[in-house]
Amino acid sequence: MQVRFEFAIYDEELDTFELDENVYSFELNEEQVETYKLFKEVDLHLYNWFKDSKIFNNWIKEKVYPDKIGQKIVICDIEDISFRRYYFFKVTSADAHYEYFKKLFNIFHELDWQDREEVGANILEHLVIKRQELIIELKEEQAEENTIASNADTIEIVE
Amino acid sequence: MDYKYLNNMLAEMDKDLSEKGMSRRDAMKLAGISGAGLFMGASNVQAMEKDQLPLKKSGVDAKIVIVGGGLAGISTAKRLTNFIENPDITIIEPEKLSASYQPGQTLVGAGIWDIDDIKENREDYVPDGVKLIPEKVIDFDPTNNQVTTDKGQVVSYDYLVVATGIQHDYERLEGLEEAGRAYSTGDNTRLHKAMGDDTGLCSIWTAEGSAKTWDVMQEYIEKAKNVKEGEEKIKFLFTHPATPIKCGGAPKKIMYLTNSRLKEAGAREGAELHFYPNGGAMFGVPEYHDAIMEQFKREDFKWHFRHNLVRVDKERKIATFDAKWQEKGPYDPIMRDFEVYSKHERKEVPYDFLHITPDAVAPREVAESDLGGASGFVPVNKETLQHVKYMNVFAVGDVASVPMAKTGGSVRKQYKVLVDNIVSQMEGKKLEAKYAGYTVCPLITSIGTVMLAEFDWTVKPTPLVPLDPTVERWIWWLMKVYALKPMTMIGMMKLGQA
Repeated sequence: MQVRFEFAIYDEELDTFELDENVYSFELNEEQVETYKLFKEVDLHLYNWFKDSKIFNNWIKEKVYPDKIGQKIVICDIEDISFRRYYFFKVTSADAHYEYFKKLFNIFHELDWQDREEVGANILEHLVIKRQELIIELKEEQAEENTIASNADTIEIVE
Repeated sequence: MDYKYLNNMLAEMDKDLSEKGMSRRDAMKLAGISGAGLFMGASNVQAMEKDQLPLKKSGVDAKIVIVGGGLAGISTAKRLTNFIENPDITIIEPEKLSASYQPGQTLVGAGIWDIDDIKENREDYVPDGVKLIPEKVIDFDPTNNQVTTDKGQVVSYDYLVVATGIQHDYERLEGLEEAGRAYSTGDNTRLHKAMGDDTGLCSIWTAEGSAKTWDVMQEYIEKAKNVKEGEEKIKFLFTHPATPIKCGGAPKKIMYLTNSRLKEAGAREGAELHFYPNGGAMFGVPEYHDAIMEQFKREDFKWHFRHNLVRVDKERKIATFDAKWQEKGPYDPIMRDFEVYSKHERKEVPYDFLHITPDAVAPREVAESDLGGASGFVPVNKETLQHVKYMNVFAVGDVASVPMAKTGGSVRKQYKVLVDNIVSQMEGKKLEAKYAGYTVCPLITSIGTVMLAEFDWTVKPTPLVPLDPTVERWIWWLMKVYALKPMTMIGMMKLGQA
């Protein structure tokens, strides 16, 4: 089974996202297909599953963005599931996104006088933090190995 | 509503509580309802709360000035005297009746209490050893740690507590420009003159105004009683503005009580009750919103979300609202969804009886000083209540820019946090006390029933007593009518402990 992905590149200095309009396909094995089916109903679980998958990360580094090591990317779409609201949310955005974030961040019209703009500003504040959790950093392989080696040393010392 | 009914209600409450393994006494104690001796046989508040006094008073030495002598200011002053060995505290408050019991204004507005039941003299509550300056602060100079009064007196301080409360901004409404701004107590002749007689206008947000509300309410209940079949019903309108207000539930409380009085008089059939809130919800907490919506449907109330009162035509009896709505905009290819545009227009609504809830604003001398924030209210850390810029300045109560309901229930939690933190600051320690955002709104839903809406920063119901918080109960009505005032006036202001 192939799963289609779309990505955006994160510009850390400007804190903005640039959409990559290409579509990339990633092949899932049988076990991964089962997990995919399980997670696809809960979009953030699905996102985090891919984000934490070493095979997926290697695929991005080797096949999708081999020339962007050291940069940060985010997943915009996985098949029909869109994560664009996290990167392109505007206060005037459609009700679906607005209501989604209110629920996600436990924001209610807690004070009757708050209007959409105020609640939207509140959503944006939460989003700044949430977006950071979703960013995938295309790290050098060497750095990761060093970390593993360093951890192994630590374990040995403890033992 | 006799003793038999009360006993039945108490038995029902006991049954609910026993399922949670709790006695009524324990539940009330847990809830901190120390004034609820009515239910528990507790003889006095002091005995219940004595364990709150510190083991040893702090020996810090500094001059503390509290601007404002209402519930927040006086309770803070009293509690400071409990915690500091030799306190040097000054309250600056110009209004003689500043200690009046404002939560009772709803009850006065519906003729359940008399205005004398809520009037309280400032001098009766200023704690022993605390100096009172009966003047009005007109200038704050936080850079030089001093304030100036309207009589020209310059008062310096080491620590300042801003507890001025808020003003009701009636003059913002077109047609009521002459009304000016009003505090809950004091001389509001100008306001009442602007509201006029035989205009169907009323407002419970001042003490005198609440008494007048009862007069106007009776007049229109009588008119509703005389409505014949086929004739147009008497229209009762209730508004809720676009700013934070004292007790966000109060505009609905007076509506519920009007409904009760109409039913009592056999006049409900001749009346239409409409609620016009600026917001898009009945209550910030979804669970309470849902419960209120059910109550509105049950009582046949009409509601019109996103309507803000902007004009009153007393001659024609027309209320003009700024009505807001949203429209679908163009398709956004990046978001893969449609934009939403906010629109608004003015809408004229005829009325017979109009209860106005005005905008609430920070007093000008605070809003325009260096202490006031963009909204005019005093910007403080919402948990420590310390000013965001001036570390020796704290704010408590309605004037503090804390995103939580402006109620006595909020003050009850805030003033203890403030005192802990101000003492810590004086001792050079870290400010560890934190306001968790808890507040309570006893929402009167009829004469005899109250829904006790409790919540905190999580904006979820946080009932201290393990009973379903969305159920309207007689027991909470008893608490609202009989227990909350002694708890507030004695427990907080006289003892600084409740």
